[in-house]
Amino acid sequence: MKVPLPAWVRPRAAIGLLAACVVLALVPLLNGAVYWHNLLTLTFVGVAAALAWNWLGGYLGQVSFGHAAMFGVGGFVAAQLQLQLRFPMLVSWAIGGVAAGAFSLIWGHPTLRLRGPYFSIATIGVGEATRLVCTYWDWFTGGSSGLSLPMRSNLKYELYWYGIALAALAVAASYALRRSPMGLSLLAIKSDVDAASDVGVSATRLQDWVLFLSGLTIGICGAFYASYFSYIEPGDMFGFDRSISWVLMGVIGGIGTILGPALGAVIFILVKEYLIASYPQLYLGLYGTLLVLVILFEPLGITGLFLRLVRRRRPDLAVTGMAAED
Amino acid sequence: MERFAELVIASVLLAGLYATMAYGLGLIYGVLRIVNLNHGGMIMAGAYAAWWLHAALGLDPYLSLALVSVVAFFVGIFTYRLLVRRLPRGAAGGVQSLLLLFGVWLILRNAAYLIFTGNDHTLRTSYSTLAVGIGSALVSVNRIAVFGVAILILVFLHLLLTRTYMGKAIRAVAQNPDSCTLVGIPVERIYGLTFGLGTALASAAGLLGSTLFPFNPTFGGAELLKSFVVVVLGGLGSVAGTAIAALILAVVEVFAILVIPAYLTAAVGFVLLVVVLVVRPGGLFGQRVLG
Amino acid sequence: MRTATRVLALCALLLGACKQSSPEQKQPAQTASGGAAAPSGNEILIGATLPLTGGEARIGGFYKEGYELAFEEANQAGGISVGGKKMPVRLTLLDDTSAQATAASLADRLINSDKVSFLLGTYATNLVEAQSVVAEQNNIPYVNGGGAATAIYKRGYKWVFGLLAPVELLAESIMKWVDAEQQGGHLPKPATIALLWENTSHGKDFRKGVTEWADKTKTYKVLVDESFELGGKDFSALLGQVKAAKADLFLADAHLPDYITMQRQYVTAGLCNKVLSYGARGSEKQAAEALGKKNVEYVLSAVWWSPLLADKNPEAKKFVDLFKAKHQNRVPEWYQALGYETARALFRAIEQAGSLDRNAVKEKLAALKMTSILPGGELTFPAEFGQQSHAPFVVQQNMPDGSSPIVAPQDSATAKGIAPNPNCGK
Repeated sequence: MKVPLPAWVRPRAAIGLLAACVVLALVPLLNGAVYWHNLLTLTFVGVAAALAWNWLGGYLGQVSFGHAAMFGVGGFVAAQLQLQLRFPMLVSWAIGGVAAGAFSLIWGHPTLRLRGPYFSIATIGVGEATRLVCTYWDWFTGGSSGLSLPMRSNLKYELYWYGIALAALAVAASYALRRSPMGLSLLAIKSDVDAASDVGVSATRLQDWVLFLSGLTIGICGAFYASYFSYIEPGDMFGFDRSISWVLMGVIGGIGTILGPALGAVIFILVKEYLIASYPQLYLGLYGTLLVLVILFEPLGITGLFLRLVRRRRPDLAVTGMAAED
Repeated sequence: MERFAELVIASVLLAGLYATMAYGLGLIYGVLRIVNLNHGGMIMAGAYAAWWLHAALGLDPYLSLALVSVVAFFVGIFTYRLLVRRLPRGAAGGVQSLLLLFGVWLILRNAAYLIFTGNDHTLRTSYSTLAVGIGSALVSVNRIAVFGVAILILVFLHLLLTRTYMGKAIRAVAQNPDSCTLVGIPVERIYGLTFGLGTALASAAGLLGSTLFPFNPTFGGAELLKSFVVVVLGGLGSVAGTAIAALILAVVEVFAILVIPAYLTAAVGFVLLVVVLVVRPGGLFGQRVLG
Repeated sequence: MRTATRVLALCALLLGACKQSSPEQKQPAQTASGGAAAPSGNEILIGATLPLTGGEARIGGFYKEGYELAFEEANQAGGISVGGKKMPVRLTLLDDTSAQATAASLADRLINSDKVSFLLGTYATNLVEAQSVVAEQNNIPYVNGGGAATAIYKRGYKWVFGLLAPVELLAESIMKWVDAEQQGGHLPKPATIALLWENTSHGKDFRKGVTEWADKTKTYKVLVDESFELGGKDFSALLGQVKAAKADLFLADAHLPDYITMQRQYVTAGLCNKVLSYGARGSEKQAAEALGKKNVEYVLSAVWWSPLLADKNPEAKKFVDLFKAKHQNRVPEWYQALGYETARALFRAIEQAGSLDRNAVKEKLAALKMTSILPGGELTFPAEFGQQSHAPFVVQQNMPDGSSPIVAPQDSATAKGIAPNPNCGK
């Protein structure tokens, strides 16, 4: 059976992804542990969100400390659609995502002109301003009381498979954004914007496109989150801690790589679960230490360690000095 | 009219605090081209140091200011030698330094949680609620003292940068590090000293803040963001620019209550930050480097 | 290519790990009736989370003391009697770090992994609101003394029970006392109000209570009505507005750190109103230390419980004595009291049900009428309020000698309140 794939897709990667999805989809049938089931669902959302963050932070090199703004917008739009207009869940997820994507363009289009740390600082401002304003707009977010969604008893369990789909789509998109011709253009922009435009790469259009996708995906993650917990409130959705968690996942897992942030997300969530039970007072310091160690010794995080292990050199990841000089 | 006078005085006093907070951040970026995200952590550390000295030794915060600043200075040099020095200089190091110092901030926060718990701490002195009349308004003595110290610090800095060898070396390195090496200025040492100086300034600001507000380990976050606004508005490293930018921010924040609901005045600073970054990333006074 | 194999390997590992753990029960959705969780041996497992670290750690620690005291008391008597047999109670307490998602996930873990039979609530409205969803989804009784917002109880949930009366009632209690003073001629009629409230559900409910009372009685006019951000530092502009308004009453609703900051700036600005209140804040020792005794004089507060209730309420006295005996003569505040009473309410319902069947216990909780340490002496979970207790509040006022006697309601009062504020005469 010959499936027509674009030239830049390696068949083995596609098979690998498909296999992983099938395996994960079958897990609940072999082992009914509800606790792990729910934990995995949350991990899938985390994976999707971290990958989406990485498109902006890793592929484009624009580290965002305010991505929670889109997460919240997506979540609250979806929640309101389900509450006020009784839209079906998936439709409201889609609309929530689009709203979040559009929102990211509004603040992102002008600020993406900024390079380096200036952009990151701007994102902090955006994240916090969004949180404050949206908490104030209680017609949108319910204020600090938040919004309670109507509860469906089996929903949380079913969301597991939706989560697999979401994460798989994010992985596929990550792969596509990197391996496709567009990915090469992104790499060019990341290393030298001016040189890139000299060879005809339209930085603005591509950046906007990536920004929109990133915002869209994070928005859908927010909508998923809202359906999962059946209750959301702005302090939690728009919180700075949430934005930070994706930065940590991306950097520790391997910023700019295809699957690094996914790995970072898995580790982050698993470690948190373990620490919460035994050493809740230490996880801030642990992440801080990991961050410091990664930046100093292995800028590509865990993926970098792995690559060193298999002695592979990846010159394309050495752009802008985020990897060890070859 | 009376209310107007009150608001003006409040703005001016607040501006002094903001200027002190911002200067350290601007200095480090101007010379090292590094955004010190640990700035918030050192502000917090300064506040806790002041509180601890007051609680354990009965030392008045204004008296422990010198001690705290000096200790912070060496902590800054140590941080530079141990960590920051290993980062590549220039554009490549930009985001990395951001993340590295952010990690340090997380560690400091956790340390504060472990040592002091997450509860709020208040520094109460005999003059905490003392007020004097200025015109028709009642002004807190504490705030005036904070403002006074802020002015002293800024004057001290200006003199340091313009009259001493070290100060001139710092300004030279900020302009062109490579030429400095050619001329025999120990660039690495200057980097370390500058980082130490910036850290000391942050801790001093934290100490001053501790006399005014209760604080906990998350203290410094909002202050960091306001420092960004001031630094970006005022351009880099210019003493006058920082002071004026601090005044602008304080005025906008305080007077905003006349036009928008009180709750949203907290968002004013952030919106201003984004607007200024988009419209004039070089700051209102252009990209001046220490003058 | 390597990536794909890696992913596969990871999944295989995961699968292996999943198979390793003992086969747990199949999804609970099938058993819609919330059947009995088999008691492990002869112990009753009760789960709870509390904010032991993070922003609310101090209060979380107090609630923990309350829970632990109730559990100790029950176990010292050999446990609670379930259908004739005495079974000890065991608390599995986890730290939710004051984060909503963690509170919900941990509740999930307690139910599905630790297999607790019942849940006690956490502290802080948004955490309770998030956690109660999990309880309702899993059909497990959830008794909490930490969530006061009416929003929690307006969702038609059947498994959630709350001991904290709503904050609107708190505001009303203060207004009732002010009313009495107004009738007695100590306060002007109509009286003007400057109202500041933190922008949280707590603050909004407080504001609702005040404004609805003002609308109802028509003897009050609200001149200033502003919200502020939780953890705000500089209230000088806001207080400037209050000063300009020259209101009779200054009513604010704030958490402890904001109360300290605001009151300090209030005093420094030379403000003085005939009646001064910060909602539930005011009588804390910590505030008196941070501000100085003189600067908290005559502050009015309304709380869910006060140790002074021991004077007239025998249940309260028993609790206070028990607590002091365990904690080196330290006097409990309302946090410990609510924690203690929450656990006690659950114990009582289990005893009455005579079994560990969740449905049976839920029925007994809904019908509960327990002699209580709470003001009013009785604890119920009225269905018309969504199973949220509406026990009355006690109003206290700080006196110059450092005490904070109860000034209302009459049946618990230990002293007469003072209005207008004598310090403002100058």
